[in-house]
Order: sequence, then structure tokens, then C-alpha cells
Amino acid sequence: MTTVAVHSVPDSSLYLPDLKLKRKESVLHELVLAAQRGRAVRDTELLHETLLRRERWCSSAIGKGVAIPHARSLGVMEPRLVVARTLRGVDWSAEDGVAVQLVMLVLSPSESDIDSHLERVSRAVAITRTQRNRQRLLEAEDDRTMNTLLRELAT
Amino acid sequence: MTQPTLLELHDVDLQLAEARHAGTVAKLKKLGFTPGDPAPLERARARLLAGVERRWVQHYVRALQRYGRGVVGMRERVCLGCRVTLPTSAAPGVGEKLTLCESCGRILFWR
Repeated sequence: MTTVAVHSVPDSSLYLPDLKLKRKESVLHELVLAAQRGRAVRDTELLHETLLRRERWCSSAIGKGVAIPHARSLGVMEPRLVVARTLRGVDWSAEDGVAVQLVMLVLSPSESDIDSHLERVSRAVAITRTQRNRQRLLEAEDDRTMNTLLRELAT
Repeated sequence: MTQPTLLELHDVDLQLAEARHAGTVAKLKKLGFTPGDPAPLERARARLLAGVERRWVQHYVRALQRYGRGVVGMRERVCLGCRVTLPTSAAPGVGEKLTLCESCGRILFWR
């Protein structure tokens, strides 16, 4: 279950191809709503607050225009990956100063242990490591393409 | 606003457990994240704890110490902590989201 959940976007609502938002707080909120539409979230306010609190403790920007926000939360019912592109870029307070264009939200229910959650996160990080992969992810125009790409990159 | 506060407290405690665990912090750094000082999480915990009704605090702390989680979710009347199916009479009152699991004593989040 976890492999499929993390490496695919099984529902078209879980891929947001061109967010126009300017602030990371708004982007996170939009991602949470998408996860709710994908039936993975039981409490959007709680999850959003949990993500914001994590950002204050540990920024999810990992550099090179990528952010991997993630949470284990009571607000989450099912492990899920939500992917978004923000082609105009969003200031995410990244250490390298590069605006974020690719956001991959990794969600786990609070019952998940930390190791399995971090395994999901590390898989998301791994597929964004190379320039070629990032470029391909940024060029995915629809959820079907993104889904195929995530499955390919995860293998 | 005890119930939302208690749920936030639970999520903060999960983050604090990560922040206090050297191995987890090391893993996060290895992945490219930049975990900072957990002091803001400690302060948030203290603030949230002060906003929770005493009876819930007692149940929460007891379950947290015993199981590592003070609150768990429900699915189809099954406690996701101990996996026992609860009777329909165990449902919370109107407008409420929390009850106690009759089997394990964890606080149950119904939604």
C-alpha cells in the first residue's frame, strides 16, 4: 500500500499542475484541500496547522526548487502523495535561495511509525535528486503523465 | 476549544518526538532538511497543554506514557490503537469528536 500511495497520484485531484499562489502557506493549504478531495484527510485545519508548525521547526525546502512538506497527523486517514507545480516559483525560505517550483506533500496517518513515514519521504526526495528527474517532473502536464513518471522514477 | 487543542497537542508531540531523537534529526538532515531548535515546539506544547481540560489531560498523559500515543483515530468503530470494535453506544455526543476507548483507554478521535 505504501509504495503505491507514495509513488503514484492515483486520483487526478492529487496533482496540481500549475498553482498560481505566491505564499507557501497558501500552497500548503491548497495541497491539504487536494488531499482531502482525495479522501486522505479527516481534518484539514489540523493538518494545515501541523504542516505550518513543522515548517517553523524544519523547513521542507530541500533546495534546487524542490520542497517536500510532510506530516504524520491525526488529520490524515491514509498515506498519500500530493504533487504540485508552481511554475512562477514560491519563496520557501530555501537555504540555496531558489524559489520552489515543485512541491511533493507526503502524508502519513498518525498511527504510522516514524521509520515508515521517513521511508516515504526519502523516496519522494530520491526521485527529485537529479536535474533530469526534476525537469521531467516539471514538464508533466497532467496527472496521467505525472503518475506514469512517478512510477518510472521510483523503480 | 479543548478538542481541537488536544488534537494539535498530539501532533506537536509527534513532532517533538522527532526533534528530540538524534537519529531522526540525523535522517532528516541527510535527506536535505534543516531541522532547527525544538524550543518553539516545546513552547507550543506548553501553550496547548494549558488549554486542554484537566480530565482530558489526565487521560492523554496516561495513554501517551503507556502507548506512546495519547489520541488515535477511529475507522468503522474500530479503535486504531487496540483494534477493538466499539459498540454504537460508544459514539460521542452531538458536536463532539472525542471519547475514550473502553478497551485501551486511549482518547479516540471520531470523524
